[in-house]
Amino acid sequence: MRKLLLQLEPVIWLLFGQGILIGTLLLTGWGLVLGVLLPLGMVPEEALSYDRALRVGGSLLGRLVLLGLAALPLWKEAHHLRSLSIDFGGAERDVWIAPLLYAIAALGSLLALVAVFRIPFPG
Amino acid sequence: MADGSKTKTFIVTRFDPDRHEAPTTETYEVPVRERWKVLDALNYIKDELDPTLSHRWSCRMAVCGSCGMNVNGEPKLTCKTSLAEYGDTVRVEPLANFPVVRDLVVELDGFMDKFRAVKPWIIKAKERAVEEGPHRQSPEELEVFRQFSMCINCMLCYAACPVVANEPEFLGPAAIALGHRYNEDSRDEGARERNRIFRGEGTIFSCSYANECSEVCPKHVDPAAAINQAKFRAVLDWAASFVTSGPREE
Repeated sequence: MRKLLLQLEPVIWLLFGQGILIGTLLLTGWGLVLGVLLPLGMVPEEALSYDRALRVGGSLLGRLVLLGLAALPLWKEAHHLRSLSIDFGGAERDVWIAPLLYAIAALGSLLALVAVFRIPFPG
Repeated sequence: MADGSKTKTFIVTRFDPDRHEAPTTETYEVPVRERWKVLDALNYIKDELDPTLSHRWSCRMAVCGSCGMNVNGEPKLTCKTSLAEYGDTVRVEPLANFPVVRDLVVELDGFMDKFRAVKPWIIKAKERAVEEGPHRQSPEELEVFRQFSMCINCMLCYAACPVVANEPEFLGPAAIALGHRYNEDSRDEGARERNRIFRGEGTIFSCSYANECSEVCPKHVDPAAAINQAKFRAVLDWAASFVTSGPREE
């Protein structure tokens, strides 16, 4: 397992790095718009109407962006939690903590992929 | 005092593996002069108060990298650290994350092994014949890695690194910065070899970017930046290896 983890480190780090970018910049903006500005009525209602959201989310680029927004932060969090676990004296338990966290991130990514494919094509 | 000195209390770690089970501390009252560095006080203790104290030092001008110690819990070059920065009590300990040989002297073998592991020399696929002249390098090419070549091997970054503390096999900041320095050298052709080492046991991906190494570096090498650049290069090299020659043995 340790050897496999070592071989996968470049991929994990790449996903983690992109997760930081997406999680810090895009997801924050997304949360701000959906969680704060929209409920406060600071965004025009029609901006996120079902038809408009479907047109954006149903396009190829839209699906890719949604996949990135959903999946990459999972890798960021998994890697951060792994580092946290090691920092709290868990270097020895890393051999099972790391695969567990990355498996959760991989499962979440798979679910995000399925969800993105299930978005209906805009009619 | 009449001579302009002021007494400070030094709590110094003492450890003699032949006599002690575990490190203890000893307290010394030192008449500290204005502009004294921490090393001056340690030398005073050794010369005037207790000749049995062991500590390592040489150049006294922040070049040799010998006198690194933990001062009030922080890794410092003692020849560069002014006592004016501290209050009346100063705690001096050996560098953290290293085995102690005696008192304030730490074991260097593991550190030197990591240095050797990254192949810190110019690797050429084919040796250049003397008649071909020198390897020329422009100032711009030098500037790419110059900062990373300023390391004096003082080991402060290893004492500050939380990853070294938890994963002793981690290559560590100075060794990675040194390997990266050669990878970025326009005369070198060994990047692929070093990148394989970077991805192997003691992998550079263990670095969690706490940035403590760059905080304590007395020569402003910024090893954390070197590690991040090295990670990116190692990933690109890993991806390229599938295209050029198939997945490589890690």
